[in-house]
Amino acid sequence: MIPIQHFLVLSSILFSLGIYGVLARRSAVLILMSVELMLQAVSVNFIAFAVYLSPEQFTGLIFAIFVITIAAAEVGLALAIILRIYRNKATANVDEVDMLKW
Amino acid sequence: MVGMEEAWLIPAIPAAAFAVLLLVGKYLPRRGDWLAIGAVAASFVLFFPVLIDLLDEVDQPGFAGVSSGIDWVKFSLPTGPDFQLRLGFHVDQLAIVMLVVVSFVALMVQVYSTGYMKGDPRYGWYFAAMSLFVASMLTLVLADNFLLLYAAWEGVGFCSYLLIGFWHERRSAAEAAKKAFVTTRIGDVGLLIGIILLWREAGTFDISEIFEFAENGGYSAEYLTTAVLFLFAGAVGKSAQFPLHVWLPDAMEGPTPVSALIHAATMVVAGVYLVARMLPLFELADPVALNVVTALGLTTVMISATMGLVATDIKQVIAYSTINSLGLMMVALGSGSVTAAMLYLFAHGFFKALLFLSAGSVIHATERQEVSQLGGLAKRMPVTAAVFALGALSMAGIVPLSGFWAKDEILNVAGDHQNFVVYGFMMLSVFITALYMVRVVILTFLGEPRDRGAQEHAHDAEPAMTVPLLLLAALTVVAGFVTFDGVGEALGFPGGFGEFVFSEEPEAFHFPLDVAVLSTVAALAGLATAFYFWSGEAEPARRAAETFRPAYETLKRKYFVDEVYQWAIDRVVLVTGGVVAWFDRNVVNDTGVDGTAGLGVFTGFGMKFLETGKLPNYALAIVTGVIVLAIVFMVVRV
Repeated sequence: MIPIQHFLVLSSILFSLGIYGVLARRSAVLILMSVELMLQAVSVNFIAFAVYLSPEQFTGLIFAIFVITIAAAEVGLALAIILRIYRNKATANVDEVDMLKW
Repeated sequence: MVGMEEAWLIPAIPAAAFAVLLLVGKYLPRRGDWLAIGAVAASFVLFFPVLIDLLDEVDQPGFAGVSSGIDWVKFSLPTGPDFQLRLGFHVDQLAIVMLVVVSFVALMVQVYSTGYMKGDPRYGWYFAAMSLFVASMLTLVLADNFLLLYAAWEGVGFCSYLLIGFWHERRSAAEAAKKAFVTTRIGDVGLLIGIILLWREAGTFDISEIFEFAENGGYSAEYLTTAVLFLFAGAVGKSAQFPLHVWLPDAMEGPTPVSALIHAATMVVAGVYLVARMLPLFELADPVALNVVTALGLTTVMISATMGLVATDIKQVIAYSTINSLGLMMVALGSGSVTAAMLYLFAHGFFKALLFLSAGSVIHATERQEVSQLGGLAKRMPVTAAVFALGALSMAGIVPLSGFWAKDEILNVAGDHQNFVVYGFMMLSVFITALYMVRVVILTFLGEPRDRGAQEHAHDAEPAMTVPLLLLAALTVVAGFVTFDGVGEALGFPGGFGEFVFSEEPEAFHFPLDVAVLSTVAALAGLATAFYFWSGEAEPARRAAETFRPAYETLKRKYFVDEVYQWAIDRVVLVTGGVVAWFDRNVVNDTGVDGTAGLGVFTGFGMKFLETGKLPNYALAIVTGVIVLAIVFMVVRV
């Protein structure tokens, strides 16, 4: 059996990549994808712990399914918002979208 | 059958009349004056069945009046007995004497006012305020607990404010109303403190329960003395005793019938009544309490009598005579005699109302009230002159008018219970009283008219004003006779007036000849001196004023009491007020209130630049925050 540390290292790498993407990218679509990456890192964690701690129960797996569902919904919503912004400002660069300031 | 249990109706009727007049008075015929008069008349009529009921029961041993009422607010306290506020009325001998004086004089004044106030733009409001005044006073008389008494006490003060300042377009009237209100309020604070002190130990506001508590030694002597002296402060303010007498002469700015009501029957005797009612407490307290009452009463008598000598406004002279009378009543109470004080109050109510109302007739007819512009009015207004002279002689204490009997009773108890200095001053005051009362009669009604223009249309007033005068004059003559035990019993008061009023310790009227002779001699001497000084051209009076100019000036300037107060207000009150105002403006308001708000605005202004609107900045902040929190969490945990 693969030790749990491997899964944790994987999910940490995924999560860090996601954070890097969110902070470094300027395109809204890429930021969205990075957020998805972070969510899936969490899902990996859930499943790994579920298998290692209580294999006979589905708690962690159900969480993972919920995360995927919500991520899908979120993507739907976020893409719609990004589309509207692109229509209005002719750009999806988040540096140029700063209407909500003082 | 209306009995003592229904005594609450007596104040309730004028109060209801006030409510009606206030709401719909404008739409009533004659602006509703008949309603106000009818209400007071009903109160006066209701007095009789209550009196008959009282006379039925007064013989029973241990009778201490009948209380009735409802619990108004009642809730239990975790720390002690239930807290309750009662709307209760108490009828006893003392209250009944006050009831008849208040309701009868008020009735006379109201009838008189229909003539005096005719054509006034606020005619209806005048009668509404008078009704409230009477209702407050009757409540005060009947209250069986301190809170109701205090409420009525303030009601009386408030109505006096309204009525003294009735012609508030005139600046002096507005000032006088304010002065009366503020001055009496100083005393009222004392009364409130006294009530709270009594309540704190006894745990009840009920007057008879407090008496019982005090008799059982519930209060220590020092505590009780402090409490009753605070109560007395209230009486000093309301009854215009020195040093809070300054409001009363100024209160003459009100319409004259108001002066009659305030000074004869209602407001000013409230203080005397309060002390009379609380006398058992005063007697249980240290003797110092009663000595203070006597001392202040005597001071008041002497300063008011001497100021009356030089006052030139006819109403002001009568105002000083009122202060004089109140001082006498206080001396009687200080000597421990409720009977003498109440007898004087009873007689005084009638002859003082008579004096004010007839002075009102003079003012109404001539539109002058300075005696220097009057004179010789007896020919033109014979009825007014006659009743005024009657009232003045009664005040001076000429036998057999009511003032004589009442004043003798006070001299008598002062002689019995006080040292000869007090007695001597009282005798001196009889002389001075006769002097200034006869002076004002001479200057107003005798001699030659000094201002012919004012007299052209002067004549006795219409019946609505003259009839009350005649009724009051009749009572001025006969009211004193109740002092005789025989007369008192014939009227149905068992044991005469003295025993009736103060049944627990019968103080029947006694009539020592030496006091009567001395006081009559003093009064007649005053009368003769007045004729010597002021008849004709009043040359001796002018010479005396020249010779004793400093003394004359002192009296004229009212012993500089007003100046002292003005100085104290300017130098102490206003300066203290200025400091407090500065503190309030700069520290509390500018720093405290505005400063807090300004800090919020400033902080918000500074902080808003953090909101860049750029998504990466927020994301960076979130990530940094999480990392910092994680580090903190790990450090603290380890």
